[in-house]
Amino acid sequence: MTLLALSQTQESTIFVALATMLGIAGVFWLLPRPKGRFVPGGIALLIAAAAVFGTWLYQTFGQPMPDVIGSTLFWLFAAGALVFGTVLVTQRNPARGALAFAFVILSTCGLFLLLAATFLMAATIIIYAGAIVVTFLFVLMLSPSNAPSDENDRSREPLAGALAGFAFVGLVLLALFQTSMATQRDHLLAQLVTADERQKLAAAIAQLEAAEKALSGDTSTAIARDERLAAFEMAFAPVRDELAEVVGVSSAEQIQSPQEGSLPQRLGRWGDAVGEPEKLFRADISARQTLTQAATVRELLHQVPQKVEAIVSMPPPGHPPDVAAAQAEVRKLRDAVVILHGAGLLPARNVANLGYVLYSEHLLAIELAGVLLLVATIGAVAISHRKPERSSTNSPTPAPAQAEGVQ
Amino acid sequence: MTITLWHFLAVATVLFGLGWVGFLTRRNLITMFLCAEMMLQGVAINFVAFAFYHGNLQGQVFVLFLLAVAACEAGISLALFVSLYRRQRSLDSSDWQELRELGLPPAVDEEPLPAVSEESFPTLPPAGVRPQPTVGTEEVARV
Repeated sequence: MTLLALSQTQESTIFVALATMLGIAGVFWLLPRPKGRFVPGGIALLIAAAAVFGTWLYQTFGQPMPDVIGSTLFWLFAAGALVFGTVLVTQRNPARGALAFAFVILSTCGLFLLLAATFLMAATIIIYAGAIVVTFLFVLMLSPSNAPSDENDRSREPLAGALAGFAFVGLVLLALFQTSMATQRDHLLAQLVTADERQKLAAAIAQLEAAEKALSGDTSTAIARDERLAAFEMAFAPVRDELAEVVGVSSAEQIQSPQEGSLPQRLGRWGDAVGEPEKLFRADISARQTLTQAATVRELLHQVPQKVEAIVSMPPPGHPPDVAAAQAEVRKLRDAVVILHGAGLLPARNVANLGYVLYSEHLLAIELAGVLLLVATIGAVAISHRKPERSSTNSPTPAPAQAEGVQ
Repeated sequence: MTITLWHFLAVATVLFGLGWVGFLTRRNLITMFLCAEMMLQGVAINFVAFAFYHGNLQGQVFVLFLLAVAACEAGISLALFVSLYRRQRSLDSSDWQELRELGLPPAVDEEPLPAVSEESFPTLPPAGVRPQPTVGTEEVARV
């Protein structure tokens, strides 16, 4: 695309427009009609549309990164949902459509699982599996046999319908693209801790544990103490580098300057020492907490080596150095890093928290949903209830008159 | 490569749009209902993705209520389908187009449906003596 010297917006517009046109033509060909239906061509066009859409998605929002399994699963489930959704829309046979809908639900549940919504995945499968079975019974009960029928072999305004739907999709995709560009891709919905930083933090945790172990040992003589300190420094040096990349450096001379770590840069500064107005790119509570935690880690990273050195190298006269206190200092830093490591990550084990949120913050809504379900059940019974035939006209009793009045 | 929030939003958009196309164009009531459910699934993906990227559970809570509403919708709509089917013996939503807005012309299906070609299987003329049923005697087992 550099040959044509297009800006990224133009390129994106072309991609989305092309995918949309292909999708319109494909669905138009596939929608059931008595004449003019061309299934292979429609399928080919839809595959082309999906390819263009995938290319656009990859080029626009894709970033080089390591999470291979997660991304493979995402593409698998996304493709499953879209393919079976297309089958549901274009399939003549409503029973096959219901089957395709079941696969759409399964793919959606896979996406839920990738998004750490385990309870929702189970609930969706249970509820929709029941609903799909019931729908299936309805299809088998109410649909005529294989003979062509108005409801299955005709579509209402296939071209206009496909145009409306895909024009909407194209516009929303373009709006997504513009939003993602306008917010420099990361600042609006910056993840609190990215996968890259999380890896570094995990490595730092392991190295801090090693450094803590390096402190224990014989500390009776000054030489032994120096050895311990040297081993500790050896183990601590990579921690300093890794943490500095994430939370920023905080040495004595740099404490006044803005922090350079990736996390403060991405989320904005918090509590600037010079007194500038706070720049927060994410102003919510969790971002503030994460930045505070990062500041804590930064301070500890600055203090802990000094404290350890002071404790180990200068013991009170007549006593061995308090190694346990030094190790406690290191552990304090490690705990702070562990908390930062888990910041902003929705844990997969969140079912209990979901229940807690439901029953603490949304109790009234739960009750209302229950009432709604009850009313819907009664309403369904009332709607589908077969009213008695009014055959008793020759024997006027008060009961049918009352029933008529109610109706 | 990393899957970002935008990927999920884009997939949810396409799912919603597909459901919309199906709801607008299909005429089978049950298929229309399934397409509406698919639109709801697209919305649910949006909610869950935002919940994940904000690191809280409010979006998942909302999807739970969405599930409850979808269950109500399924019950009511299937009951409606039954009562509609009793009147017209058909699931075609165009059978109810006298409910349309005043002044709009009725939609007419111009193209005829493809005729079902009754396959004519070859038949043999009856020949020979019609076998008489044997009453009261045991049927001889033939091996």
